[in-house]
Amino acid sequence: MTNKQFQTLFCRIAIALPLVFSVSCARQAQAPSSETASSSSAGGQAGSEQIVLRKMPAGKEFSGFLKDYSNLKPNPNLDLNALTFVRADEQKNLHKYIAMIVDPVQVYLASDADESKLPDKARGVGARYFHRALVDAVSSAFPVADEPGPLVLRLRAALIGVDVGGEIAAGDKSAASEGALDHAINIGKVGVEMELVDSNTGEQIAAMVDRENLGAGAEIGNVNFSRQEKWAAAYEAFNGWARHVRDFLDSAQELSADDAKRADQSYQPY
Amino acid sequence: MTRITLALIFAAFLGSEAICAADKEVSTFPAYVDSDICARLMLGPITSDRMECSQKTHKDGAGPVLVRLSNNMVLNVNKDKMINKLVGQLANVSGELKVKSGEVKLQAVTPIEASSIPAGDPGRKLLDVRTYRTKDAPQTYEKIRHELAMMPYISEFDFISFAMLGDTVILSGWTVRETNRSDAQNIIKNIEGVGTIVNNIDVLPLGSFDMRIRAAARAALQANLSRYFWGSGSDIKIIVKNGDVIVLGTVANQGDKDIAGIRLNGIPGAFHIFNLLRVQSSSGKKKG
Repeated sequence: MTNKQFQTLFCRIAIALPLVFSVSCARQAQAPSSETASSSSAGGQAGSEQIVLRKMPAGKEFSGFLKDYSNLKPNPNLDLNALTFVRADEQKNLHKYIAMIVDPVQVYLASDADESKLPDKARGVGARYFHRALVDAVSSAFPVADEPGPLVLRLRAALIGVDVGGEIAAGDKSAASEGALDHAINIGKVGVEMELVDSNTGEQIAAMVDRENLGAGAEIGNVNFSRQEKWAAAYEAFNGWARHVRDFLDSAQELSADDAKRADQSYQPY
Repeated sequence: MTRITLALIFAAFLGSEAICAADKEVSTFPAYVDSDICARLMLGPITSDRMECSQKTHKDGAGPVLVRLSNNMVLNVNKDKMINKLVGQLANVSGELKVKSGEVKLQAVTPIEASSIPAGDPGRKLLDVRTYRTKDAPQTYEKIRHELAMMPYISEFDFISFAMLGDTVILSGWTVRETNRSDAQNIIKNIEGVGTIVNNIDVLPLGSFDMRIRAAARAALQANLSRYFWGSGSDIKIIVKNGDVIVLGTVANQGDKDIAGIRLNGIPGAFHIFNLLRVQSSSGKKKG
């Protein structure tokens, strides 16, 4: 067999095999589980063992997840009920970084939540989905990195105020057997706290606290999400928060009038 | 189930034949053998200055690339050895062309003379200095320049350049964000007077080795030339590619250019330093 014939055969096999496998696999698994989807994402959040469950301190406005809350202020540039902070230091600000690590999302239960009703697998469901949404939202602005280093930010995010919802109906449990939860996760009043820190030093470069009342309909019930209508509200919320993070980054990247003038004067093609 | 799988394998083999054949199409075209640096900066014609730039920067360590004469597209090659000795010359190239990724898998390279390119061949344009001297669309040029200057995610580590050849805009330079490559094209495509766009912007690797060099280079320059850096940007651009450092932009005087060169030469791990800063003369005109 000549080299060219071998290359052609190799090319055919390379194209044919994934196609056959994908069709076979699709027949076997009608609905891919959220775990599978999460683990294949860039900067993916691994299994539920990484989800550290904490409780929202009673009577406190914030969870304590962020390194610093003192600089947070309402942001008129964002159409949100959000508090934000962007470091304006000439040497260390968002413009000085070009890549990002997205940490696994942490979960803070509501102060009065009954933790015992939340099984291990339930802890990671929303967190993993939100992590993936965050990676998708930020990666075109800040390529996702695997390890800390100079010019690399670390995005830390937490879902705050997660509560244990009602018991899952027997019909829904049977619909996706192993994937079903015993209790839904209520995210009706969940908020998000996130911050961007220098991946080497841990210094806070930007932060955002966002609250959005999703109402009583926002529940995560079934890991496979196949028959839970309430998942739609949660799904929208996670995607929405991820978009808020991207909007926040975009707004922080906008040039001030002075900087825009200087950039315009400075730029000359070679 | 087995029958279905076998049928799918057969169908996939038949389908793959067409895909593989398309992917392996061999093209033959005249090209200028350039250095990576000059190809992405000197978008003008193939003059003696350009040839000198190509040979000097290649000698100093810049990798060789091909510039397709018909449309000024910069192409990376799979075998540098085949074109190393031809940098600064024209050549007839045969190989598998991958336009989307800007690559060519070389099969044969033969040096040629400019006179061997037939009259009327689009490749002739690139050889004719008059093509570039006519700035018949200064407003379009200025709009493109302004839009590229205002791109939000351009850092000290990105430099996007462009040239106009009639209504064809040739984008070039380097960026650390893949989206800047497409964004640059998208923001200029609707500007009145812009026809075809050739996108030669190179997306730089973000390996930890290059990242350390980037950070060290910026720190070194900021320490001594802080007036060229501001909160969200800089007059000096630092391009790092596989350990090589190219510094671009405009500084006020030769002394600042020399300081930049000295400081960059002290960066651990950097292989080659290409100090291409331009100096603003007292009359305001920039010198290379």
